[in-house]
Amino acid sequence: MMSLNLEPFRITRKEQMTGDIYLFRAEKAKAGKSKNKEKLSYQPGQFYQLNVPGLGEAPISVCSYADDYIEFNIRALGDVTDELIKLNVGDNLWVRGPYGTHYPMIDLHGKSLIIIGGGTGVAPLRGVIKYVEKYRAEFDRVHLLFGFKSPEEMLFKKDMELWNRIFDLRTTVDKAGADYKGKIGLITKLVDESGLDSKNKAVIICGPPVMIKFTIQSLEKMGFSHEQIYISHERRMKCGVGMCGHCMISGVYVCKDGPVFRYDQIKNLHE
Amino acid sequence: MGKVLDKKRLKEFLGKVSKGKELIAPVKRGTLRFEIININYFDDICLEGRPLFSIKKFFSPAKHDLLKLNLADKKKPFEEEKTRFKPRVIFGARLCDFNGLLRLDKLFNSKEYQDDYYKAARENTLLIGINCVPAPSKYCFCESMGLEKYYDLMLHDMGNKYYIEAGSPKGEALIMTLEDYDFVMPEIKCDKKLFRKDLTQYYDNPAWNSENDKCLSCGKCTSHCTTCLCFDVMDELEVDLKKGKRFKEWDSCQFLNFTLVAGGAIFRKDRLSRFKHRIYHKLQYFREKFGMDMCTGCGRCIEACPRLIDFTEVINKFR
Repeated sequence: MMSLNLEPFRITRKEQMTGDIYLFRAEKAKAGKSKNKEKLSYQPGQFYQLNVPGLGEAPISVCSYADDYIEFNIRALGDVTDELIKLNVGDNLWVRGPYGTHYPMIDLHGKSLIIIGGGTGVAPLRGVIKYVEKYRAEFDRVHLLFGFKSPEEMLFKKDMELWNRIFDLRTTVDKAGADYKGKIGLITKLVDESGLDSKNKAVIICGPPVMIKFTIQSLEKMGFSHEQIYISHERRMKCGVGMCGHCMISGVYVCKDGPVFRYDQIKNLHE
Repeated sequence: MGKVLDKKRLKEFLGKVSKGKELIAPVKRGTLRFEIININYFDDICLEGRPLFSIKKFFSPAKHDLLKLNLADKKKPFEEEKTRFKPRVIFGARLCDFNGLLRLDKLFNSKEYQDDYYKAARENTLLIGINCVPAPSKYCFCESMGLEKYYDLMLHDMGNKYYIEAGSPKGEALIMTLEDYDFVMPEIKCDKKLFRKDLTQYYDNPAWNSENDKCLSCGKCTSHCTTCLCFDVMDELEVDLKKGKRFKEWDSCQFLNFTLVAGGAIFRKDRLSRFKHRIYHKLQYFREKFGMDMCTGCGRCIEACPRLIDFTEVINKFR
């Protein structure tokens, strides 16, 4: 139906991030024996529908930026994702996509970026950061502000080592044991204390709805305007093409018109 | 100017236009509903009243298979269901039903995406309506909705004969040989009215509460609606846990779980937000996007509701 064709990808890498979160890398399963791989064209912020035959699909954001593979950060949080994380290197993964809008990276060239993530919301942002790594010269200073529940829930620890060197990386955790040396507190506290000004900046936020809400309130106090802020909405996306109705808010299809929105354009929508 | 057909010749006429096709008509067996019938059962056709279920199910079935699943085949666990479609004639539906299709077209047969089954159904269905004079239900309010004259043929009951007007070249060809008749198709008149208006400023109006308080979240309003098209997509396996199917099934924005996401968050938790979502989609959001209301004034959502929740009463209070 509706040209929702599924394509086979192959898992080429699998890495455990936390207790229930795995990072998968998938490449297009080779069609025939052609050595010329078809290039992938997805953008940070977009998502794919990942399949488990017999159970269904789950919309998962891309968390990489490359033209020969896609990485998905998958948390076991339901029937489909519980099975997805059991996949291993060499297994087929059936996907369709990419769907939705992406972070307007090219429009942000020349700006300084503030990238704020909460929990698994950091995953889609990793795609943004991978883009910035590749086109580093196109951006002014880059600030990464990430919050996690606990030190054990921290994602992308290897990436963080690199990001800590090349970007201004700041992390916080909600709770930690007495031996934890890093910052403890909510992400809003991290934002409040960052001392960042709004000059020539773009803010990209991804995280739970309540985190987005309070982070924006903090940013408002610091002088940021809503036109500077990009957020990614989470909604139930069944079809991914603006038909099934599940993700629609006030006539806006999050799967098609989003999931990435400039905040001023959607802030007044009725749920 | 249209044509005229003696009522005694209707069976013969329908037999002719539905030859080699499936005939769908309102039939009264217990409840009145649209069914696929054999022309030999012509006498079962009932044109009194309008079926509570619209013709939507023949274009976007309540449950429709999309993929065959075969888990044993690791290389190709999915196989697309081919759309098989026999041409159809729908007889005895109403202007609201046909206008409903114009709304469904916007999503199921847009330039961007087409639902194969829907597209095939639209291209292969002849639409023959019956003019609603008098209005078939006290809940009808289509007069307020500015419906288009959209049909292949429209019949108007004139006692012992039907006055017939064509609304398309296809329809015209079917009645070419009938006798000309100088008459004007009477307009539909409804007792019930909806005073349409821009609803933007009324979102927080307390008038919503009285009707909403009665709601049971049963979803009858959306399943009976001529234009409600939300669906869920689900997988189902046979007992061997190898073979199965992926299908789409009507869903309802009135259900609590409609906006449920992984982790348990629900974005429209209270009934009031779901009630408003339905009405705003019908009368505001859709118009902003496509220039027409998503409601055709058939009144089915009111009539089907176990509590007779009437959204027109809410909107008519906004002055």
